[in-house]
Amino acid sequence: MHETSIAMGLLDSLNQMAEREKAKKVLKVRVKIGKLSGIVVDSFVFAFNALKEQFPKLSKTELIVEETPILYRCNECGKEFEVETVFFPECPQCGSINLKLLSGEELEVVDAEIEV
Amino acid sequence: MCDVCGCGQHDHSHEHDHFVVSDDTTKRNVEIKKSLLSENERVAQSNREHFDRHGILAINLISSPGSGKTTLLEKTVEALKDELKIGVLEGDIETERDAERVRAKGAAAVQLTTGGACHLEAPLVHKGFHALEKQMEGYPDILFIENVGNLVCPSSFYLGEHIRVVLISVPEGEDKPAKYPKAFKTSDVFIITKSDLLPYFDFDVEKVKKEALSLNPNLKIFVLSAKTGEGLEDWFNFLREKVQEKKAAKVEG
Ligand SMILES: Nc1nc2c(ncn2[C@@H]2O[C@H](COP(=O)(O)OP(=O)(O)O)[C@@H](O)[C@H]2O)c(=O)[nH]1
Ligand SMILES: [Mg+2]
Ligand SMILES: [Zn+2]
Ligand SMILES: [Zn+2]
Ligand SMILES: [Zn+2]
Ligand SMILES: [Zn+2]
Repeated sequence: MHETSIAMGLLDSLNQMAEREKAKKVLKVRVKIGKLSGIVVDSFVFAFNALKEQFPKLSKTELIVEETPILYRCNECGKEFEVETVFFPECPQCGSINLKLLSGEELEVVDAEIEV
Repeated sequence: MCDVCGCGQHDHSHEHDHFVVSDDTTKRNVEIKKSLLSENERVAQSNREHFDRHGILAINLISSPGSGKTTLLEKTVEALKDELKIGVLEGDIETERDAERVRAKGAAAVQLTTGGACHLEAPLVHKGFHALEKQMEGYPDILFIENVGNLVCPSSFYLGEHIRVVLISVPEGEDKPAKYPKAFKTSDVFIITKSDLLPYFDFDVEKVKKEALSLNPNLKIFVLSAKTGEGLEDWFNFLREKVQEKKAAKVEG
């Protein structure tokens, strides 16, 4: 459900950007979404595409999602490892749960391509 | 009064996206590098400034449905209403029930119905707070924001609070910190509720505390029962102390 409100927020801010840059259209937007961010990418893309029609400058905008992996580094033994699950893992090498999250929580709008 | 709506100077974001590439005359790349939640964060920041200006301590309560947030608020209002002005914003998907419950105990309360959304966002809190100001004809010392019952996405939406509290009730089980790390990582306080039920459940308090602290060493932890009153006085004292700090900061500022 919150995918919809986040998609709407993105469209609002793109629309403001388009006004500010005096763009005719926004052609593409790139976002990074981490697997730990709690966003279901499919729902987000679906909501974005359903809602973009409301904005004349965004009605053709292509949304490009880069999903970033969940990466940890073990603070005990230094091992870096990737996991699939959102559950808090332990180090596969030494079993420690003293871990630093290196990536996975991203929720970032990277850039956009506009037509002026 | 505040910077979000007409009640303050309207301040649209000062940030300007800057261009990086400019390859041909009709197409251009604009670097953005902003959080997807930046609109929420902008309003949350303004909520925070609004609270600070009036010396209000704002507390965001996050838990699964039924962990005992409203019951704890009822007890808190009962105990503190003669010494502190308390305002409550009650987030819920559809009903008015929780706001009525805390109002019955003597607090000002406004229900925020999200119309289906599973979390509160800063703009709704902003609107709700203005309704509360009207209802109180002034400002509370403490503002409690009871989030929608959900341990997942409320932790992604900053509302402008000073203190975020995550609650787990004993019947929910001891695996919650591991399952919902983000709620624990982003909170300041962790409350284990319904401690009166400890004899009936396999819930190892020390183990849960340890696990929560491994996710976030700065968590302040309370174990309490709204039913028997166990642990409540520590919670009340914590609130008293934080309100004092807030008032002192306002006087200095
Ligand atoms: N045994 C016990 N039950 C509690 C306690 N606190 C709340 N409850 C019960 O838990 C249920 C849900 O409480 P509520 O405050 O509405 O939860 P909320 O959804 O987090 O606001 C209610 O039936 C309460 O009576 C407690 O300390 N001990
Ligand atoms: Mg409730
Ligand atoms: Zn290790
Ligand atoms: Zn105000
Ligand atoms: Zn306002
Ligand atoms: Zn949500």
